[in-house]
Amino acid sequence: MTNKMRDILCSIIVIAFGAAMIYYVKDVRRVIRSDVGSAFVPTLIGWCIVITGACKFLYAIFTSLKEESKKIEFNQDMFGGIATIILMVIYMYFFQSIGFVVASACYLFLQMLLLSEKSNRKILLFAVIAVILPIAVDALFVYVIHMPLPVGVFGF
Amino acid sequence: MIAAALANVFNPVCLALIWVGTVIGIIFGSVPGLSATMAVVLFLPMTFSLEATRGIALLVGLYMGGISGGLISAILLKIPGTPSSISTVFDGGPMAEKGEAGRALGVGILYSFIGSIMGILALMFISPMLAKVCLLFGPAEYFSVAVFSLTIIAALSGKDLLNGLIAGLTGLALSMVGMAPIDTKVRYTFGNYQLLNGFDITVLLIGVFAVTDIILAGFGRRTLAQRLEQKKYQLKGYGISLVEFIQQIPNAIISSIIGIIIGILPGIGGSTAGLLAYTAEKSRSKYPEKFGTGIIDGVIASETSNNAVIGGSLVPLLCMGIPGNTVAAVFLGGLLVHGINPGPLIFDKSGQYVYGIYFALIVASFFMLIFERMGLRIFAKLLDIPKHILLPIIMVMCCVGAYSSNSRVFDVQCVLFFALLGLTFKCFKIPSTPLIIGFILGSMFEENLRMALQASHGNWMIFITRPISCSFLIIAVVFCAYTVITNLKGRKKAEEEGKEYHEPEEGEL
Repeated sequence: MTNKMRDILCSIIVIAFGAAMIYYVKDVRRVIRSDVGSAFVPTLIGWCIVITGACKFLYAIFTSLKEESKKIEFNQDMFGGIATIILMVIYMYFFQSIGFVVASACYLFLQMLLLSEKSNRKILLFAVIAVILPIAVDALFVYVIHMPLPVGVFGF
Repeated sequence: MIAAALANVFNPVCLALIWVGTVIGIIFGSVPGLSATMAVVLFLPMTFSLEATRGIALLVGLYMGGISGGLISAILLKIPGTPSSISTVFDGGPMAEKGEAGRALGVGILYSFIGSIMGILALMFISPMLAKVCLLFGPAEYFSVAVFSLTIIAALSGKDLLNGLIAGLTGLALSMVGMAPIDTKVRYTFGNYQLLNGFDITVLLIGVFAVTDIILAGFGRRTLAQRLEQKKYQLKGYGISLVEFIQQIPNAIISSIIGIIIGILPGIGGSTAGLLAYTAEKSRSKYPEKFGTGIIDGVIASETSNNAVIGGSLVPLLCMGIPGNTVAAVFLGGLLVHGINPGPLIFDKSGQYVYGIYFALIVASFFMLIFERMGLRIFAKLLDIPKHILLPIIMVMCCVGAYSSNSRVFDVQCVLFFALLGLTFKCFKIPSTPLIIGFILGSMFEENLRMALQASHGNWMIFITRPISCSFLIIAVVFCAYTVITNLKGRKKAEEEGKEYHEPEEGEL
């Protein structure tokens, strides 16, 4: 993807977002006569977003050809990033149902495994940290701060 | 009020909290990849259960330690722990190369302390005066101040004006979710009752600033294992003689003033303060050619100014409720959670807490001076903590923090939503700081606009006919025009020279 394409894509998303903002408050009615109403500021912001997006779009379109040919260097580890997001989604999904301690222990272990390399992968150390840390945090919140964290189906 | 504040701060629990905050802040500041913002964000939910002064004292310690801690890695690894320490590398790095790492560290710590104290003094003297001026403000003035802040932040903190504006406007848009002020009409909840009160600022901060970085670490996991060579050091005292100390007094004063002014101006941040002070000292110096080769003058200019920013940034925060930078925005969230409403009446309504903040800042400065020096060896060792272990632990703490802000899992899920938003921003090269400022200023913007228009029976001229309001709007327009012209000039010049145009980096702390 070139810089130009990135900016065009960004501007399209921004324009769509602004338009959605305006659309979703169109039915909000004014209650107080001397007031501009609750739809006014969101609509104003929506229009500002649309205009800013349009400016960005035009700016991207009229950028010189030299800029267009510049490709964004993307040498990132896609698997590592996407797997991290998936792990977070799963962790947050099960945060309530299986409880903080179990969900956190599983997440910690898998995330440490994912971020480590063969040379520094210490499975036993990861497992110990994954078990001890959530238990310690849970104990801190339950007994010291008096703010229990989700317990889930296992009861802890 | 002063006696009550003294009693609140100088009790063992509060002092222990400041100490813990300062030490953890130094750790977060010194480890590259972690930041002062992350430290304050992470610990913000834990202050909810504390008494207001104690909670704020913990945050003060984290802020102070976080900014100062950056110098450790800047000197030992030649990588700034926080963006504020960028200019410390210029001379701190070469000093370490010459075997003077200990001296650079000692001087850095000492002048971080001096800068902090100067900033605090400015805060103590400027705030009450500014608060008196702010008493003249009505809804129209507050609306114009909000517009001005949004413009200046969007203009200064981003890669370009458009990206900064997109971020600021997105922040404003997010603040519109939930019940509207004045008539409580429900907007953008899509039938979800959990959104009635809108998004929580803590959740937004954790998502955008902490979790986004963890996801990015996933994308760059191959570089996580790289260990950088750490310079050895030896240090006696603070590495500076009395003669040198006297010679550096003008440098410290000028750098402090630069830091304080940059702190007061919204959106610029410690990194710019450090760079400006470094440049100012270099042009003032009798031996400018020695800058960059490893002299204490550069380290002193950088560290004094970036710590003076702390006091400066709290001036507009306390008097007008305007956060000057990202950490100040988090701080504002902390004050609001504890029922302290910043504004011109803060000295009357919450004077005890304001003085508490002053004393906590002073105590944190002394703790930083003493414990950063004493624990230098330990902090240097902590630079070796493997990131693949540290980052997942931080993620778990982020979820705990989000959950404890309202005791609901919905907030934990919102963290991921905001993290993905932060990631999208990074992909499109949009700065995150204006998003936070826009979110915080959103309610101030809408509420004051509607109140001003109600008072004037719908006459928009109220914003122009009132002198203070008009002045802020004019400054906002001038600043916008200036930024656009500067950007265009920069691009044109770069095109003429056949080089790629490098826009200024995001000026966050």
